[in-house]
Amino acid sequence: MRLFDYLNKRMGFTSRHSRVLDKPVPGWINYFYCFGGITFTLFIVQLLTGLLLSVHYVPSEAEAYRSIQHLQQVVPLGRLLRATHHWAANLMVVMVLAHMLRVFITGSYKNPRELNWVAGALLFVMTMSFGFTGYLLPWDQKAYWATVVGTNMLGSVPFIGPSLAAFVRGGPDVTGRTLLRFYSMHMLWFPVATGFFLWIHFHILRRLGISGGM
Amino acid sequence: MARKDENIFFPRYLFEIALVALFTVEVVLLLAALFHPAVGREIDFSAQYSPRPEWYFLFLYQLTKYFPGRWTFVGAVLLPGLAFSALLLAPFLDGGRKTALRHRKVAAATGFGLLLAIICLTILSLL
Repeated sequence: MRLFDYLNKRMGFTSRHSRVLDKPVPGWINYFYCFGGITFTLFIVQLLTGLLLSVHYVPSEAEAYRSIQHLQQVVPLGRLLRATHHWAANLMVVMVLAHMLRVFITGSYKNPRELNWVAGALLFVMTMSFGFTGYLLPWDQKAYWATVVGTNMLGSVPFIGPSLAAFVRGGPDVTGRTLLRFYSMHMLWFPVATGFFLWIHFHILRRLGISGGM
Repeated sequence: MARKDENIFFPRYLFEIALVALFTVEVVLLLAALFHPAVGREIDFSAQYSPRPEWYFLFLYQLTKYFPGRWTFVGAVLLPGLAFSALLLAPFLDGGRKTALRHRKVAAATGFGLLLAIICLTILSLL
């Protein structure tokens, strides 16, 4: 293991992380405690497939639909790539809900873990928002009209509704500017926010550990 | 140091976590290989068309149907907003130290009531 020793001396793998690896884990936890970890795994899948999809996708009114068709029909493994992103997204929603249900049932959000639940609830909003914005990106019939219906809901708020809807759409109607705006949220704003909330979520978990017995 | 009822993260838990993560990725790949999401038709801007949203927004879609016209706001924003506020503040609303559900009757009724309502609305939207 000359290579390992070489890298270890320069990067200190073993010294830094032994603390993480030696962390005690309660012996009574079961597979119901896996849902959060599965959600995170799916998020990583989304990150990787999303990066690959971004190589082919063009977020413009004229090109979006065609670029998806190109991805499906011409790009090697393009269909599989898109299907993977689609399925991991759906399973991620299922797993977020399962994770929240487990935490609720075991009462794990109680003192001192309240703020970890709040960070988790915001991650749930992020997951749903990723779903909502990602739905528009293929720029096909149902994507377009689902976004019209969805943003109309925001528009129904008394007084500030119309300006709120216009802010989300980038104008009074759903247009190419909405597409670009949703793309920006889906690809930049939400991942950054999600990364931040995930850091809080994991930091608290590390510091406080898995909640005590039921 | 680990007590008797505890395990060290490495190697036992890391191994199990790795297996679960691998299994997750395999399920995703299997589903993706078997079922491809279709690309829809090109947008027809001329005709208003009301598509079904993704399954996890169906409850919201169904809820808005009960509040037409100027009441849309109630079903689209107000009720979901209240439900989400309760969710966000759950650990503060469900105070006390007791974690077992039988000692948290109000929290359990509220939580499962909300879940049941969402499931019912989703089923109704599919009928």
